[in-house]
Amino acid sequence: MTTRGIDYASLSLKDALDLAVLIEEEAQERYEDFAAQMEQHRTPEAATFFRLMAQNEAKHGEELAARRSSLFGTEPKAVTREMIYDIEAPDFDAARAFMSPRQAMKAALASEVKAHAFFVAALPALKDAGVKALFEELRDEEVHHTNLVTAELAKLPPDSGLSDEDFVDEPAAQ
Amino acid sequence: MSATCEYQAKDYKSDLKPIWCPGCGDFSVVQGIYRALAAIGRPPHEIAFVSGIGCSSRIPGYTTAYGFNSVHGRSLPIAQGIKLANPDLLVLAAGGDGDGFSIGGGHIAHLIRRNMDITYIVMDNQIYGLTKGQLSPTSQKGRTTCTSRYGSLEEPVNPLLYVLAYGAGFVAQASPTDLAGMAATIEEAIRYPGFAFVNIQSPCVTYGEEAQQIKGLKAISENLTALGHNPADRLAAMDLAQHYGQKLHLGVFYRNPEPAPTYDGLVRERQALLSKDAPPAENILDLFIKK
Ligand SMILES: Cc1ncc(C[n+]2csc(CCOP(=O)(O)OP(=O)(O)O)c2C)c(N)n1
Ligand code: SF4
Ligand SMILES: [Mg+2]
Repeated sequence: MTTRGIDYASLSLKDALDLAVLIEEEAQERYEDFAAQMEQHRTPEAATFFRLMAQNEAKHGEELAARRSSLFGTEPKAVTREMIYDIEAPDFDAARAFMSPRQAMKAALASEVKAHAFFVAALPALKDAGVKALFEELRDEEVHHTNLVTAELAKLPPDSGLSDEDFVDEPAAQ
Repeated sequence: MSATCEYQAKDYKSDLKPIWCPGCGDFSVVQGIYRALAAIGRPPHEIAFVSGIGCSSRIPGYTTAYGFNSVHGRSLPIAQGIKLANPDLLVLAAGGDGDGFSIGGGHIAHLIRRNMDITYIVMDNQIYGLTKGQLSPTSQKGRTTCTSRYGSLEEPVNPLLYVLAYGAGFVAQASPTDLAGMAATIEEAIRYPGFAFVNIQSPCVTYGEEAQQIKGLKAISENLTALGHNPADRLAAMDLAQHYGQKLHLGVFYRNPEPAPTYDGLVRERQALLSKDAPPAENILDLFIKK
């Protein structure tokens, strides 16, 4: 999780909303990539879960984008994708071949925790009351998402006891 | 060169689905390349992307550029041939640490001394990934693999020092710990007029060691700009490059402030000069016939 060039003290509500949309977009894309990787490796359960996460992120992003356009219309954006990295998106190496649904959910849970930490860390630097309120709302949503995923995890039957290593061919000297 | 028109990262993404292991660092490298190419803005058909053999060498196929997944260790001579045949193309070469520094290691020096205008991206995972986890030239000493049951006895190659010592005009390092930084570094490498080398620490999640995964890389990464490094200072770059393996310095180590002429440019000049007195093409065989 990294950011660059964000001046939290002068962040306007428009910029904050745009930033939030970018964060959701990035997460959506990563989940879509993960789903495609799982499909490629014949791991349909994890693929379905990652697609669901991508849809959730897309829905959330659309809601934020609608708020932005109702408040600020087509005013140009001042923030770019380069300013954020892996805020709510799982890390590139969080996917694994033959992930169980439990492992996939754990990867998503880690991303929600990461996003929560981002909003918590940014809050003290914010000056604008509207931006503060937005970040608090987003922080609380991450708590809500974390609880949802944790509840879903609890419903899952335990993993088979096989590790992903069991599916990997033994290395051979060439 | 064609007129500039707006390209987006997705315009460089092909329909082919990568078959890399889920989580492989190379997924981030291809994203970095899409972004860099979009920033450069050349149409995909004006880009030739050559690789050798290895997991990483599959990368050209995942782009919309003309791709050539060639022969193990031979991406550079092939890329060089393409650049000489058509200097207007933007030529990229890529591959793994094994491809670049074992079997293909001998080629690097020659592209550097000629200053071929080619960008060479090495996805350094300190292992032979494709062939399932044998020692590579950048594997750390002591590393156990299926070809080093009791631990490697060799010191690793230092790719950064290797190319700096041969006189490369542009040398940089990137990693998936900072995608925007990686894209910017690749873009800068492509814009450099001459041979540009980017070493990308790209973790192999299947055969790589724990310390070389993203978390481990984050723990040792330091940004060269933040360190106040002057990329025009070659000796300072060599000093920093000594830490390869212990620290992960990200950004540009060296950018020659006065790039030498490129070989492809010199060849073009010579062709123009000699073709003034050359006989017309239809009489060219006369040159070989004794009068
Ligand atoms: C001439 C030749 N020798 C050996 C091989 C076997 N081989 C294929 S890929 C490879 C090494 C791959 O390692 P690297 O270049 O680091 O790429 P990675 O798979 O790690 O991305 C080897 C030894 C080959 N294909 N051709
Ligand atoms: S074996 Fe390693 S380098 Fe090859 S695709 Fe898998 S993770 Fe990537
Ligand atoms: Mg390798």
